[in-house]
Formats: sequence, C-alpha cells, structure tokens
Amino acid sequence: MTGQTVILEMARREAAHLADLVEQFAALLDSDSVDGDPAIARLSPDAYPEDSAAADEFRRLTRSDLLERRRADSAVVLASLAEDGAVPRIADVDDDVAMDSRVLTLDPAESAAWLRTLAALRLVLASRLGVTAEDAHDDDDPRFGVYEWLGYRLEGLLQALNE
Amino acid sequence: MTLPLEETDVLSSVGEGAGWETVVWNDPVNLMSYVVHVFREYFGYSPARAEELMLAVHHRGHAIVAEGAREQMELHVQAMHDYGLWATVRRTRS
Repeated sequence: MTGQTVILEMARREAAHLADLVEQFAALLDSDSVDGDPAIARLSPDAYPEDSAAADEFRRLTRSDLLERRRADSAVVLASLAEDGAVPRIADVDDDVAMDSRVLTLDPAESAAWLRTLAALRLVLASRLGVTAEDAHDDDDPRFGVYEWLGYRLEGLLQALNE
Repeated sequence: MTLPLEETDVLSSVGEGAGWETVVWNDPVNLMSYVVHVFREYFGYSPARAEELMLAVHHRGHAIVAEGAREQMELHVQAMHDYGLWATVRRTRS
C-alpha cells in the first residue's frame, strides 16, 4: 500500500481550485487568530479531555510543531500541483483548457502529504459548515460541493495507493 | 504519612502493563477508508485489524488503538492528530 508512485489526473480548473484552498489553509495556519480558531482547535484536539492541566501542557509542547508539519505538508501539495508549471489563479484559467487534464506524479512522501492535507481541508470546512453528521448537506451552500469534492479526491487517492 | 490518591494510582498501575492507552474517537468527517489507511500505515496493523478498529470507532464511538507507556501514547496521539484523527491519551481502565 505504500512505497509506490501514484499518478493523479486533475483538470486544470480543479488544480487551480485545490491550490487556492491549500493557500487559504496555509494562510490560516499563519494567521494571528490561529489560537482561537475552532477549525485549528479540531486539528489539535485536547489530548487529555479529563485533565485540563495535562492537556494544556501537551498542547504547549506539541502544537507549534504540529502546525509546522501542516505548513510543510501544504507546501508539498502546492509544489506538486506546480510541478509542470505554475498553477493559475481560478479566474485566470482559460475556459478553452479548463477541463484539460494535468497529470501529477506523487512519490510516497508526497502522497502522504496530500492525504493529510485533503483530510485537514475537509476538517476545516466541516468546522466552518458546522458538520455534525456524516450525511450533512445543503444544496444552497456551494461549500458543501467543495467538501464533497475533497472527499472524492481523498477516496480516489486512497484507492490508487491500494492498487 | 498518607499517600495522595494520584500516587497510589500510579503505583497500582505498575506491573499490569504500562498503564496508558491511545483512544481514537468517532467523528463525522474522516472517511472510513482513510481511518483504515491511517491504522495500517502508522501502526502497521493488518488490513483486517485496521478495519476492525475503524468499525469499532465508527459503531461504538471510540476504540483503543494502542496501549503502553505514557510517553509512547503521547507520540501516537501526536501522529493521529497529524492525520486529522481525534485521539486522546488516558490511563487504562481495565
């Protein structure tokens, strides 16, 4: 299941959207409000729910490293998206080529960073959307479409790794 | 002198294994296939064992995925948090 290279096909428009999301995530990790953000809290939950002193101590010792690894993962994803040329902004993707595929090649370390980042993006979106059930959905909120698309991509990458 | 309760607790746990466990809790966001992947990849569990633990998390709300020394459990929890899983450390309850 590990140790192999994975080939990923992604439309240019999709790559632009993913790069945009990962950049937003990286900006969130670097923002001043990181400590009070509920999505970030979900990414570094209490390790000791019944012992607040131990939980605080654990967080004090580990949180900045955890966020640093998140930043590193995000950088890996952005780098692989830009592997054969810079990814244009969403608005700058030419309609004529928007659905053309980019072929991305991920080595095992890159795949691992992609999995963790896709999962993290879903957790952040779920926090913003107030997702409390597996079948949460709202046709009127386009962010649910993004949330489900990230799940589809995560599932696809897992399948590719298991082949 | 009288030992505080906490210390008595620590002493009583010596000898019955290392006394701490890593617990993974259910959440509505992480995909089942992803949780299985994490258990296989990180702990090196067999596909069957990883699947069994994932189903326990899913249906019972949580599962104990490792037991041992406190420091080791804290490393596991950090790793689970890196993957985005909701994990905690606690004393073994058996």
